[in-house]
Amino acid sequence: MIMQRKALKQIVGLKPLPEKVLKRIKLMIFADAHHVLGQMAAALTGAHEGKINDVFDNALLRTAHDHRMLHFEMNRLERALEGTEITPILLKGAAYVARDLKAAQGRRVSDIDILVREEELDQVEKLLMQAGWKADQETDNEYDQEYYRQWMHELPPMRHGKRGTIIDVHHLLLPRTARYKIGIDQMIDGARTIEASALKTFCPADVFIHSAIHAFADGAFDNPVRGFIEHYYLFQDLNESDRKDLCVRAEQVGAEKPVGLAVWCVGFLFSDENAQKMAKNMKKPMLFWLLRWALISKAMDGLTSPLAKALLYIRSHYLRMPMRLLVPHLTRKAIQWRPMSRKPVDLPLP
Amino acid sequence: MSTVTRVSDLSRREIRSSLREGSLLLHLGPFAQLISGSSDPLIDFLQDTYRDCQVELFPSDVTDVHLNLRAPNILRKFFRPQVVPDPGFEVPAVPLPIEMAPLAFEMGLNLSVALKCCRFVTIHAGVVADKDGAILMSAESGSGKSTLTAALLERGYRLFSDEFALVGLGDAVLQPYPRPISLKEETIPIVRELAGDEWISPIVKGSPKGDIAYRRARRSDIDQSHKQAKAKLILFPEFEPGMRPYKRRLNTAEAILRLIPASTNFGLLGEQAYLAITRLFDDAVAYELSYGSTEQSLSLIDEALQERDDHAA
Repeated sequence: MIMQRKALKQIVGLKPLPEKVLKRIKLMIFADAHHVLGQMAAALTGAHEGKINDVFDNALLRTAHDHRMLHFEMNRLERALEGTEITPILLKGAAYVARDLKAAQGRRVSDIDILVREEELDQVEKLLMQAGWKADQETDNEYDQEYYRQWMHELPPMRHGKRGTIIDVHHLLLPRTARYKIGIDQMIDGARTIEASALKTFCPADVFIHSAIHAFADGAFDNPVRGFIEHYYLFQDLNESDRKDLCVRAEQVGAEKPVGLAVWCVGFLFSDENAQKMAKNMKKPMLFWLLRWALISKAMDGLTSPLAKALLYIRSHYLRMPMRLLVPHLTRKAIQWRPMSRKPVDLPLP
Repeated sequence: MSTVTRVSDLSRREIRSSLREGSLLLHLGPFAQLISGSSDPLIDFLQDTYRDCQVELFPSDVTDVHLNLRAPNILRKFFRPQVVPDPGFEVPAVPLPIEMAPLAFEMGLNLSVALKCCRFVTIHAGVVADKDGAILMSAESGSGKSTLTAALLERGYRLFSDEFALVGLGDAVLQPYPRPISLKEETIPIVRELAGDEWISPIVKGSPKGDIAYRRARRSDIDQSHKQAKAKLILFPEFEPGMRPYKRRLNTAEAILRLIPASTNFGLLGEQAYLAITRLFDDAVAYELSYGSTEQSLSLIDEALQERDDHAA
């Protein structure tokens, strides 16, 4: 485990890169496979000689594209909602990019996630449809559409007809049936307007809280390395008073456990003393020792990772909904299951 | 210690063990490519078609590309072995019988360059150059681009690439990347005739794209693969048997609009790609060509070059 913690530290620049070339290559393949090569490049660019700069250039050009796309989508979103009182809150990657946080530097972004009040949902959907977004093919069937609307924390994903970009419109941070109940109204009330824009982001403490909720209370932690690095950078972006806020705020909105876990991970994986101190006084989720083992095993993709993945998968469903919903849902999904369709790519082939 | 040598200076055993370790580093043009996955057909292919290329048995630095030629599953490693190119991201590649490893290798490298190497604008095109500058030929598959590229080599041009024009982001200078020229079906005998038998690889028969062979890059192409060139002529060739030879000068705007869809990363690079493509026309002029034979295409190119020179004078 020591060596693997080292990999995370090397990616964010806390430890020097391996001197041995094969190890260095492996590290970069690891970073690429976990979608953090761009973040590694942003942290380390210019610090080394040789080929590595070419590889970093490639990664940075790619993330520059993502960020450009995101800014454009934000502009289209504002335009779609113009003339209304609705001020959506940007979530996750979109928020980090809009606020130019450390967590945004070199980060890959594909979708745009926004949060609006539940009573605004219908109007937002209508306006986005008018602006060219449509129900995404993947979930454009009666069951999925109804399922999302009845139980989920977001509308079924919408894809723009021309640009192909996806927007997820949330009204909660977790499914309606989730075990954690988050004080979403408080978070929305605390959101701050982005200068010269109709869009908002959460206050700094809430940005961290949402990231922790997303990672540890929703889903099976599908992108663990990226998740850990995100928490690390978001934590670095909090100033002294934000960090004090964080503890109080996490308790207020009912997210103390996932936040406690995220802060613990920052402390443990990146040897961050501030995070270590803070994590001591915070509540942790049930079976903390088992959970932290599973998270780290999954991230490191070693021999035990299939077991870790299975545990996290079961946990994600346990957190998401009660049995009386889960069993029919999984049965339905199993019947509906088809092999993942590979996205067609236009390529020049010999 | 790692040293750079030509493939032809290495023993089969050395290549095999390096491919097994996944430590074979192929240097070509601006790219360093780490290759893993040993198989006899691949070693044969490297020893034949890549014989003059520079490689290292142990990499001395990180690489642009890491291409793993692996079995699609454990069964296919042993029973009727198959191979798929794995460039480290998901690609739509079908498993091929192991004898077609050369094809998987070439496809894997093409995918890696097209989708990963965005420090150049990559345009699907054949490129050759002489001391006056480069000729860039952009065309759909089957329009005679490879044959034309191969024919120009016999006219004293050096090979940049049969697959990608690599356009520098700031300066719009073209980078050589002299991989072997891929030949399909009926073009194989034509190029064999042009180049001579010893320059054509053994034929990979019955691939999903029909019979495939490769025209090897010459040692001089490979040794000069660091020497860049500016474009002098940009061509949109179209071959059809029996077609009367015809050429039409394109204005810059039209040529740019035809190059953009031929680029694999224009959308990704955005403005930078647009500026680079525009700058290609600082020195180059563009033509659309149609022709029914290789000789006709060569005389059309001569005419186009002459017109360009007359114009400059």
